[in-house]
Amino acid sequence: MKIENSPLLDALCGEYLIGTLRGPARRRFERALRSEPRAALRLRHWQEIFAPRYSSTIEVQPSARVWNRLERELGLSRYRAPWHRRAAFWRGWAVAATAALLLAVGLQIWPPVEDRAAPVQIAELAGKDPASRVTAALYPDRRTLELRAARPVIAGPAQSYELWLLPAEGGPPISLAVLGALDARFQLAASHGQRLRAGGKLAVSVEPPGGSPTGAPTGPVILIGDVVI
Amino acid sequence: MLDKQEIRRLILRTAARDEGSAEAFERLYRRCAPLLLGVAQHIVQRRELAEEVLHDAFTKIWLGAESFDPLAAQPFAWMAAIVRNRAIDVCSSHDVSRVASYHGTLDDDTEGTLERLLDWSPAADESEDGRRALQWLRDCLARLAAAERQALVLAYHHGLSHSELASHLRKPLGTAKTWLRRGMASLRDCVEARMGGAR
Repeated sequence: MKIENSPLLDALCGEYLIGTLRGPARRRFERALRSEPRAALRLRHWQEIFAPRYSSTIEVQPSARVWNRLERELGLSRYRAPWHRRAAFWRGWAVAATAALLLAVGLQIWPPVEDRAAPVQIAELAGKDPASRVTAALYPDRRTLELRAARPVIAGPAQSYELWLLPAEGGPPISLAVLGALDARFQLAASHGQRLRAGGKLAVSVEPPGGSPTGAPTGPVILIGDVVI
Repeated sequence: MLDKQEIRRLILRTAARDEGSAEAFERLYRRCAPLLLGVAQHIVQRRELAEEVLHDAFTKIWLGAESFDPLAAQPFAWMAAIVRNRAIDVCSSHDVSRVASYHGTLDDDTEGTLERLLDWSPAADESEDGRRALQWLRDCLARLAAAERQALVLAYHHGLSHSELASHLRKPLGTAKTWLRRGMASLRDCVEARMGGAR
């Protein structure tokens, strides 16, 4: 469906939000939203205008069987963390925003150098999909870190990846780099290089473009691994 | 009051499909399901059907979390739209003869409905822009012609189609369509004028 910015597009956006655009017409419009940025932009404008919020007075408690059925049908048990990696750990990680913001450093792309001593692998990061493994290797100068992804992982236009160090001695996560792809070589702040040691962890989270707005991980953690050095 | 950042974080964590995604999804469900079930029930009118809608919608939320726009201003609205659309589809496919029963149950007190079903108090974490947008919407809804406002509220809250709306209002189909279309257009013009004035 080809849509110009027009009274027709506005009428479609309005009907879509109010719920009277339905059946095949709604599906055509939804396809147009995916293929035509202008339509998506216009709808976003409409959503800014028409964003009423439901009052909690209309809440109705669902019966337990709705959740039980979802849990079973979607096979959710596969996506539950083992006990030692559950909430408390992540919560502790997420609250420590300020300190991490102060420590976060901008990324400098290290110029390629031909005859550099070989890097040593210090961590293997893994996520839910074993195929998307990433290894981290540190150069002997302890200032240059290299990530190698088992297969190319490139951030979408609305996101970036952020690499964090969870220090061995505890404390807030430290932002090491904001990356567009998980194949990268970059320079670390000297103080960060020194803190890369056994007992710590490296993790990658998905963040808005330019990195976490708070200085602590805000998006999902997609990869994590122990530092062995 | 639902915390916007919390909901956004839970949706993104659900999308990650890693260890812990199920916990995030469950927390999202515990937080949002009661309100979403209320939304569904206003449309389908029957509890067991509304729970079907809730189930289908959360299946879609789990499967579609990766297409959620992390920059969306209102993460809850993303879920509410999934619920509303599913509820509307279920109504059409169940061939629920709703209009007859609606005459008895739908209240025509549009002003009361607006106050009772919508929450106009800004969320604690609402930005200044968000607060203003909510106030503008409220002012502009109040300025609509009464018939247009009623048509909008009935369509939005009860998921009435054009023909159901016409039947409920006892007006020709064309009139019901015109009220809706003109109501939305006036609403947009009114809010845009205030947006322009605020810049």
